[in-house]
Amino acid sequence: MSKIRSLVLVSSDPFSINRGAVEVFEAIKKEIAKYGLQDEIEVSMIRDTGRHDIAPLVIIYPEAVVYGPVLVEKVPFLVEEHLLKGRVAAGLQAPQRELSGRIAWISARKGTLPAEQRVVLKNVGIIDPIDIEDAITHDGYQALGKVLSEMTPRAVIDELKRAGLQGRGGAGFPTGLKWDFVSKSTGIPKYIICNADESEPGTFKDRVILEGDPHSIIEAMAIAGFAVGANHGYIYIRGEYKLAQERMSIAIEQARAYGFLGENIFGTGFNFDIVVHSGAGAYICGEETALIESIEGKRGEPRARPPYPTTHGLWGKPTLVNNVETLANVTPIIRNGADWYRRLGTPSSPGTKVYTILGNVNITGMIEVPMGITLREVITIYAGGMKHNGTFKLAQTGGSSGSIIPASLQDTPMDFESFRRAGVSLGSGALLICDENTCVVDLTRVLLNFFRRESCGKCTPCRIGTRKLYEILTHIADGVGTMQDIVDMERIFPPLEQLSNCGLGTTAGTPVAGMLNHFRAEVEAHIKLKICPSGICPMNGSLSKELEKTWISVQA
Amino acid sequence: MTVAIIDGIQVYSAVQKALERHGTSKDELIPLLVDVNSTLGYLPTEALGQISVATKIPISQIMSVASFYSMLSTKPRGKHVIKFCENAPCHIMGGRQVWEALLDSIGVTEGETSNDGKWTLATTSCIGACGVGPVMMVDDDLYGNLTPEQIPGILSQYA
Amino acid sequence: MVQLTIDGQQLEVPEGITVLSAARRNGIKIPTLCAHRSLTPYGGCRLCVVEIEGMRNVQTSCTMPVSNGMVIHTNTEKIKESRKFVLSMLFSERNHFCMYCQVSGGECELQNAALDEGMDHWPLQPNWTNYAVDASHPYYVLDHNRCILCRRCVRACAEMTGNFTLATEERGASTMIIADYGVPLGESSCVSCGNCVQQCPTGALIDRQSAYRGLEPKADHIKSTCVGCSVGCAVDLIVHDNQLLRVEGDYDAPLNGGMMCELGRFKPIFDKQTRIRTPMIRKDGALKAATWDEAVAVIIENIKDKKVAALASTRLPAEALAIFKEFFADDLGGKMVTSIEENFPTQGLNEVRKSGLEGTLKDLRESDCVITIGADLFKSHMVAGFFVKRNLPNGTKLIVIDAGDNQMAERADIFVQPKQGSDYEFLQGLAGNISPEEVNKSTYVNIKSLEDSINLIKAAKKPVFVYGKGLSQQDGKVAEKSPLQALIGLAKSVNGKIFSPKGKANSLAAAAYKLDKPFDTHGFETVYLALGDDDPSNYLIQRLEKVPFLVVQASHDSKLMAKASVVLPVSTWVEQGGHYVNLDGLLQTTQPGTKAPEGVLSNEEALQIVAKASGFALKANWKSELKDYIRE
Repeated sequence: MSKIRSLVLVSSDPFSINRGAVEVFEAIKKEIAKYGLQDEIEVSMIRDTGRHDIAPLVIIYPEAVVYGPVLVEKVPFLVEEHLLKGRVAAGLQAPQRELSGRIAWISARKGTLPAEQRVVLKNVGIIDPIDIEDAITHDGYQALGKVLSEMTPRAVIDELKRAGLQGRGGAGFPTGLKWDFVSKSTGIPKYIICNADESEPGTFKDRVILEGDPHSIIEAMAIAGFAVGANHGYIYIRGEYKLAQERMSIAIEQARAYGFLGENIFGTGFNFDIVVHSGAGAYICGEETALIESIEGKRGEPRARPPYPTTHGLWGKPTLVNNVETLANVTPIIRNGADWYRRLGTPSSPGTKVYTILGNVNITGMIEVPMGITLREVITIYAGGMKHNGTFKLAQTGGSSGSIIPASLQDTPMDFESFRRAGVSLGSGALLICDENTCVVDLTRVLLNFFRRESCGKCTPCRIGTRKLYEILTHIADGVGTMQDIVDMERIFPPLEQLSNCGLGTTAGTPVAGMLNHFRAEVEAHIKLKICPSGICPMNGSLSKELEKTWISVQA
Repeated sequence: MTVAIIDGIQVYSAVQKALERHGTSKDELIPLLVDVNSTLGYLPTEALGQISVATKIPISQIMSVASFYSMLSTKPRGKHVIKFCENAPCHIMGGRQVWEALLDSIGVTEGETSNDGKWTLATTSCIGACGVGPVMMVDDDLYGNLTPEQIPGILSQYA
Repeated sequence: MVQLTIDGQQLEVPEGITVLSAARRNGIKIPTLCAHRSLTPYGGCRLCVVEIEGMRNVQTSCTMPVSNGMVIHTNTEKIKESRKFVLSMLFSERNHFCMYCQVSGGECELQNAALDEGMDHWPLQPNWTNYAVDASHPYYVLDHNRCILCRRCVRACAEMTGNFTLATEERGASTMIIADYGVPLGESSCVSCGNCVQQCPTGALIDRQSAYRGLEPKADHIKSTCVGCSVGCAVDLIVHDNQLLRVEGDYDAPLNGGMMCELGRFKPIFDKQTRIRTPMIRKDGALKAATWDEAVAVIIENIKDKKVAALASTRLPAEALAIFKEFFADDLGGKMVTSIEENFPTQGLNEVRKSGLEGTLKDLRESDCVITIGADLFKSHMVAGFFVKRNLPNGTKLIVIDAGDNQMAERADIFVQPKQGSDYEFLQGLAGNISPEEVNKSTYVNIKSLEDSINLIKAAKKPVFVYGKGLSQQDGKVAEKSPLQALIGLAKSVNGKIFSPKGKANSLAAAAYKLDKPFDTHGFETVYLALGDDDPSNYLIQRLEKVPFLVVQASHDSKLMAKASVVLPVSTWVEQGGHYVNLDGLLQTTQPGTKAPEGVLSNEEALQIVAKASGFALKANWKSELKDYIRE
């Protein structure tokens, strides 16, 4: 496998096509071949980008330079200057003011491809996680010291607000605001909970942080305790993460021994301690109120909200629940300041995001990059392209509850704001990348099977809706689906989102929506032609038999 | 189905040890159950009863909690428990074929225990090892990058 | 107060209530299934959703607290669609045949909700799986096929009664209602109070007798009072065609909030006792049917110029007790006119009253530390017991002091068994008047239990001491060593209340009429027993064995009949109205629900006839003598 060094994108909206985008595309390929660079440079068409008067556009990564309008005759010059000599082709750059909001963010990157930029993963893999001294020499507990000696609780919260940190658990709620709510709640005592019940399929960023840099979480929780006025912390780590639990327990012991936890920390009179609480296998406990119920020793059934945990949380007291990755952002912000933090990522979503890259790509794993990277960049640069030279068909972002997005959306910058506008969920940062051998019906069925099993069963729409959707998808994958099934699915998933009690139910229909929005033809092929275009679904009735069996076992 | 018979003394000592470690406050219920479950392999009714007496949590509540969480089992399980990840990432990366190989090798379907009491085949939610999917766990051992061909070899390592 | 708008109506409602109750207070109908006013909001079924301006999704009105300026819509197209969706989901989950079901009697909330939304078919394919029916319980049946998993039964079992027998098993679509660790209901820790059955909105929990008997809209609901014990739960008698179909707790009653127990709910329905339908006179060793006139004539023969003892059940209404006392004590001058409970339930009452420490059910409900001595509320006064039981998970402490067995012991924080007759020493020990070592010597209670108890009581803000017959039985032997006095001293020292559950429904009224002394029938020629529908205890039957002439005024056949010389048939509490004074001194009324069989008179009428035949006109003013015993 050769290493891709540059990525060239040509706009392909109707207006660009009209103005010769296809010819430009072909010309670029020809020029590249002329210099023998075809293995190092990837050329693709992308959907609508800039304004019509500068079409067609050519964007070249990693420098992220936007050229436009590019005419066929200028292509040899462009390729020679930029791709061969490595400098910006003079006079061809698109004027900044002409760029629409949709691609203005590219030039905001100041001409560079978002390189891996490790903020929360800074120490992961570098320090010995069970040696507190190693952590201390890598800035550990510096922020806590600064907070306790120089800052007021209010100043800490204000700094977080200014940094614009948003929760990394999936919903993207402003963290500073949440801390503010808890600090203003009147109940006593207050609690800090670190949500380390990372159960979203395809996500393991929290595990890596917990295993690689447990002290950063302890430190952030202590800072949170100081800021909101809490003296007790819980880290709820899912039961499957035994190593993370062990390392966290060791780290807490060490932090206590060094006086970073316990009574009178740094001699300031501030007390804070942390208990590790193990989960026992329930996806739903990642939902903050279910997690609280679970700590209280109950079934993980989400509560009705309002009241919110910020006022009525653990044991009915004000409680701050933050995700691991969110907390891991706290100490760098305190150490380096909000201004430093805002320089990362996009204006509406500052900071970095940890993504897990999975599926049919050459390199699977984890990256931490500034907010606003595109899927295409991730696939081409970090994932080393599709496996077996496959074609990118669809991706699912954000774990099981994320959206199924087609190849056509791969140039949308991944930040909370842009994704919200595109109706896509960023979720936990899992990127499941699938090639043409993936059947969308099969994939959606697997996802719904997950929800069906993980629904807590409290509320009607989720308990029954997930099961119904799974049954319908099974029938379609079995070749016994009818067009009524599509109608039924369309009748189920919108109310599911509206009526469910918690995030599990409200998002369980998202993959189905994505499937029907972008791949309806493929679903209809299963029903009308009784074929699975990708050749994955059995289409022979075998699944339905299995389904029946599961119901009989429930009965017994 | 034959599984290891657990006698009353074993149950009692497992519960007592767990109680010593975790105490009897309500927020320790789940850690208690996890502890006993890992010692005994499952949660026998007698264990639930003893925990109920010690914690003063009604038996119905304990049963309700024990059956809610997938890591806890209220039914006896085989000597070795295979937990196969059935989530989308593993599925996409070839999990389906591996699952079929497992079904063939053990001869039971999901949630069942083999006739000789050796294997219980279960599916699990994501174990956070998607980077090396498809994955499965046999007891506490994790296997990643699985192919159908590897299955018989892996299973043969367990007595 | 909070201002808000529902469906265009400007409303003012108290702070802290939910949108649902704000709507209901103002006559705006929102359908619900999992919500019930006697339970904490749950938000599970999602039928009660409303649109609130400014909120993205629809919201469950049962959990949403009101806030100022809220604008709420309960009847938009979106909401109607949402309701239909929720119902269609429920229909497809298990076997629900609402659109065809005739046996619901019109009281199935799921069916009614579906009819209200105009649903006449299954919008999605139903699930045809059959779930096993649990018919192991003597009074009711649990049919999972009809269950919609609203958890009202589970919550009633936990929140109302504190019994925690019911729970949910598994999760998601596999969720099922279970008892204990999944045992059949009939073998579970169920105390058969039936509050779950009354809560069930569908036919998943139905009682074996009344289900499918008569259409609900045709049945009469009569508000009455249960006379099973002195708590006096407010009930609805549900009557159709002169048959008592069901007894249900009245959710609107502040006293019991809809709760009942086995004794009040199922005993009247599942009653297998044989009714006495005609007066009887013993002739040639056997009881023979007779007319009222004949029977009364024989009775008169045996009370005129004879030494007559008269005993009444404290289950009789105040009206009957008053004329009983007037006739036998005042008119006939009887020396032995009392109740069959004698003085046990109310002894010492005046001393407690004098101390100013007398507690009520409200105190019991709100107590954070309940200390019982010689009383078993779980057995004798179950609903009062529920008030204690349901608070235990919230931190209320329970100390049970009883020399014998006690059902409360299982849930108690501390259970101590001082040896028989040593309550005085133990209470003095609790009050710190005797050293722990001495207490240990005289009561055999270990020092740690005593000290733990002292600490719990000291830490309590609202301790309530419950004493029962167990304490009073040894009372009065040595006046200066009275356990009750020790209890009063103890309660005073910790700022606690003293609560007595009394005995049967009208113990307090009986005490007011001075029908509260021990009885001894030795030397009496005739004993008149006004039993009503009470069950004679074996001990009572034994004590009446040697009576020369026994008149029994009763509703049911019993072993007493073997001894009775004359029997008068009287009505039961369901057939007869009257007044009762409950343990708090609350004056309550029972209403007749069904008509007594032909020839059967009320207790009062029977006594009137006997008195009239003896030449007395009874005019008792039952209320005036109760005055000191009634609390407003």
